Amino acid sequence: MKITIRVFGRYKDITKKDTIQLNIGEGNTLGDVIECFVKQYPATEKDKSRMMASKNKMYASFDTPITEGDEITLSPPVVSGG
Amino acid sequence: MITDRYRRQTLVKELGQKGQEQLATKHAVIIGGGGLGSHSANMLVRMGIGSIDIIDDDIVDITNLHRTSIFTEHDIGKSKTLILGERLQSVNTKVRVRGINQKVTSENIWSFVQHADVIVDGTDSIPLRLLINDISLQHNIPWVYAGVLETVGMVMGVLPKKTSCFQCIAQNIPASRNQETPVLGNLPAIIAAIQCTETIKILRGRQPAGLLIYDIWNQCFDVMNIKRNPYCPMCGKKKKIN
Repeated sequence: MKITIRVFGRYKDITKKDTIQLNIGEGNTLGDVIECFVKQYPATEKDKSRMMASKNKMYASFDTPITEGDEITLSPPVVSGG
Repeated sequence: MITDRYRRQTLVKELGQKGQEQLATKHAVIIGGGGLGSHSANMLVRMGIGSIDIIDDDIVDITNLHRTSIFTEHDIGKSKTLILGERLQSVNTKVRVRGINQKVTSENIWSFVQHADVIVDGTDSIPLRLLINDISLQHNIPWVYAGVLETVGMVMGVLPKKTSCFQCIAQNIPASRNQETPVLGNLPAIIAAIQCTETIKILRGRQPAGLLIYDIWNQCFDVMNIKRNPYCPMCGKKKKIN
């Protein structure tokens, strides 16, 4: 199935896009989407385990199932320095 | 009576004279007096928040100076909050500024924030932010998260049970790696300025903007409008079934 991902922060710079299209199989999770994204954009590899991902405007865990038509966003990890 | 001090600020229609007078009645608690906290304290004192407490048990270190603007080399080894309290009080004697040289813990946080109209995050730790988030949700005190890393900063105002809480967005954060955080020197000032705007908006009864992400190197600014997570372990109502 085809899904659309909105990207934020430096991911816009890395992908040179606001939204990207990915083809993933049925029954995949948000974690699988992130795997696919990282494979396509290796510069995001260091964020892989900490990426902030949302489904339909809610932050969601990596095991969240994805279905066609879901709105996915990916942004860099929450930053913690002060 | 608002003096000439704020004249230019009261001309801003989003605030006005009435808003300025309202700010003078508010109490902000800033937890953390480093890169973010010291800049936020400086701005909020100058903007006329009536009463400000700054809490931190840390001392000024040479490595703080590249990203702060209040401390000098003469302050190295001294308490951050005591310096901030003294110096900022002399900036604006019409507000009350108090530096509290103590570590914030789960045991004492309530004693620090019980009279707060807003809590301003100047910490550098996720566990402390989760503690702030918890006390905010328990006692309905708004707070404004801010964080910096390398060239990226994030800000999010939290209205308890109305907007996403910190746990809603932080669920994928792993345990701290205890590394020294890289930060471009001018980033905390910029992010603190954004954080102060969200703080003032909350104090004026306005809705915060969502999660703000600013990459100052690539000049890329984003606002993410996010919903509360009903399964959030801290603010959600639903239990997740595995």
